[in-house]
Amino acid sequence: MHTRRDILQGMIVSIGGASLLSACSGAVQIVPSSAGVMRFFSDEELQLVSRVSDLIIPRTDTPGALDVNVPGFLDGLMAEWANADTQRNQHRNLRDLSMKLGRDFVELDETTAESRLASLDARAFDGRNSQYSAYRSWKGLITQAYFASEEGRLQEQEWVAVPGRWDSSVEI
Amino acid sequence: MTDFDAIVVGSGMSGGWSAKELCERGLKVLVLERGPEIKPERDYVDQLRPWQEKNLDRISEDEIEKHYFRQYPGVAYAVKESNKHFWVKDDEHPYETVEGTQYDWLRGYHTAGRSIMWSRQSYRMGPQDFAANKEEGVAIDWPVRYDEIKPWYDYVEEFAGIAGNNDGLEQLPDGVYQPAFELTDAEKSFKSKIETAFPGRNVIAARIAHITQVTEEQRALGRTNCQSQNRCHFGCSFKAYFSSLHATLPAAERTGNMTIVHNAIVQSLDYDPATNRVSGVRIVDAKTNEHRTYTSRLVYLNASAIASAMILLQSKSEAFPNGLANTSDQIGRNLMDHISGAGANGIMHGFDNLKVFGRRPSGGIYIPRYANITENDKPYTRGFGYQGGASPIGNAGGQLAGIGKSFKEAHKAPGPWRINIGAFGEQLPNPNNRVTLHPTKTDKWGNPQALFDVSYGENEHTMLEEARKDAVAMLEAAGCTDINSNPVNLTVPGNRIHEMGSARMGNDPSNSVLNKWCQAHDVPNLFITDGAFMTSAACQNPSISYMAFTARACDYAVKQLEENLL
Repeated sequence: MHTRRDILQGMIVSIGGASLLSACSGAVQIVPSSAGVMRFFSDEELQLVSRVSDLIIPRTDTPGALDVNVPGFLDGLMAEWANADTQRNQHRNLRDLSMKLGRDFVELDETTAESRLASLDARAFDGRNSQYSAYRSWKGLITQAYFASEEGRLQEQEWVAVPGRWDSSVEI
Repeated sequence: MTDFDAIVVGSGMSGGWSAKELCERGLKVLVLERGPEIKPERDYVDQLRPWQEKNLDRISEDEIEKHYFRQYPGVAYAVKESNKHFWVKDDEHPYETVEGTQYDWLRGYHTAGRSIMWSRQSYRMGPQDFAANKEEGVAIDWPVRYDEIKPWYDYVEEFAGIAGNNDGLEQLPDGVYQPAFELTDAEKSFKSKIETAFPGRNVIAARIAHITQVTEEQRALGRTNCQSQNRCHFGCSFKAYFSSLHATLPAAERTGNMTIVHNAIVQSLDYDPATNRVSGVRIVDAKTNEHRTYTSRLVYLNASAIASAMILLQSKSEAFPNGLANTSDQIGRNLMDHISGAGANGIMHGFDNLKVFGRRPSGGIYIPRYANITENDKPYTRGFGYQGGASPIGNAGGQLAGIGKSFKEAHKAPGPWRINIGAFGEQLPNPNNRVTLHPTKTDKWGNPQALFDVSYGENEHTMLEEARKDAVAMLEAAGCTDINSNPVNLTVPGNRIHEMGSARMGNDPSNSVLNKWCQAHDVPNLFITDGAFMTSAACQNPSISYMAFTARACDYAVKQLEENLL
């Protein structure tokens, strides 16, 4: 069984840079050692997106968001797909998210961080969510990226590429 | 002596049929396709897996702005990074609209044209559709009635492969169908509740051009049953949905009578006043800019309603100063599409223990037109059908509440069942809705750009307002909750990609371009069997009608040739 630290280390390596992980009061902190590894995320943004991704879609009996490198995928998406306006908006969204979660969010221990994010999520989905579009946007991207991965699609969703037939009524 | 017996301009939905029918009757046929060749084994991307797609299969925003600024906003659900080669680049294929109007001209230039990317709904026009113009004093009468075209619908449906049921409805005639895709339980419940609450309205299985019980004829062309991938906009490695590339062009090819030339943009037709015939087809090669002229005894325009009209408008001569076969001045006029932008969705209850297996293509249910058929209290004329379906919401793109293990696993559950219905309505013909040649602007080959002047009238606006109200009332009657129905947002003309009417057929040469056989009144060896011939639009998706009229026109032309009448 890999530790979360291994996973994060693997993720950083897989997205192309030497990095250093440091444990701090039980939390795992990503500290990329060289600036410019990411094409879109700043170091702080990468830490935030990684933490949020891991809390939204953790490893269970199937791989989680960090196992499939959701942050690296989203960095590529923003660098290649988004135009300059969208990039600016998404940087702003990440600043907004960081403010709402608190500047100390990435340093919090697991339980506290989870509780703080759950509270934000509840507010964002209570039907009066216009103030939480930044969070909903990134939650959407993280989820779409995860389920576009081979592991997310095949193991978690049990997706079948070529169904071969249509069955309109299957009891669960 | 001509180069060929027949030239077919365009290899798409109707051009493929012209090629097949004429080749099978022994004619030597040249098919001119303005775009490059598509080879399924090289160009189809239906087998690409989600994790192999680049950037969630999104075309980059900068690229959309540069190349797809009309195609992408018009049809975003189908224009993706992996299949963008099926869609034209707007900067290479520009067009203009008259100030204060809009037009979506959504296109694919390549082998088989838009028959690769269509949405495959296939409904016959009914007896009322051919009679309506005359009965209401709108435009001109159709020169054809349903009984005359019925055997040709039978003929093309059997070859194409249409999944559907015979529902016994006079306004939406039965056909030659393979087994329909079964309705979901939520759809069956919806059907039962609607048919009880609204006698005269019906909910039926969508009729779609997918093989579900492959015939020997289809198997011989390398086609097989639909595999429920629902990746049709990316091509189909199983050739299970109808397209020219899967069916008609291979059928033409195997006769040994077809020659197909790609990258051949038809600019104009030559006219010989001595014989009163088209005498040549002039093209420019899209790659080399070389000009060539091909000759034939017959010419079939299947370039799409807009392009076919433009070719004729560009073919000016002393005898036809306003464009070939245009003594009626109707070419380019009466441009029609279908109208959408009204509908509703809502949650259906009682199905949470159920899910589906497989991904049903195209559509689930269809509500055939009832307005001015079984219900005659409407503040508008003609009517609309609804397309739709009910399925579990499933993975809502991350827009579900919660985080962590429970959020992750919520995506395994199919989730609540949502029904959605959207109207497709009939646009009335109006001679002022037209495409002309832009007086000054040309494309990079020197061809005049299209200039559109199309607007919807009061009937279209009123119809969709009523369609929205009816949709909400039906969802309420079906017991839906969380009903959403946005204010009517009438689609931009052209957006439904059902262009038609630009060279209408009629009995009187003074006010119509074509006779009942899709043959030009003015020029006997010229036929137009794409959407241009449509005298009115009806509200049904039109491709299957183009196929039927094409097959009938080819049969007529071959008999005329055999009797030396052409």
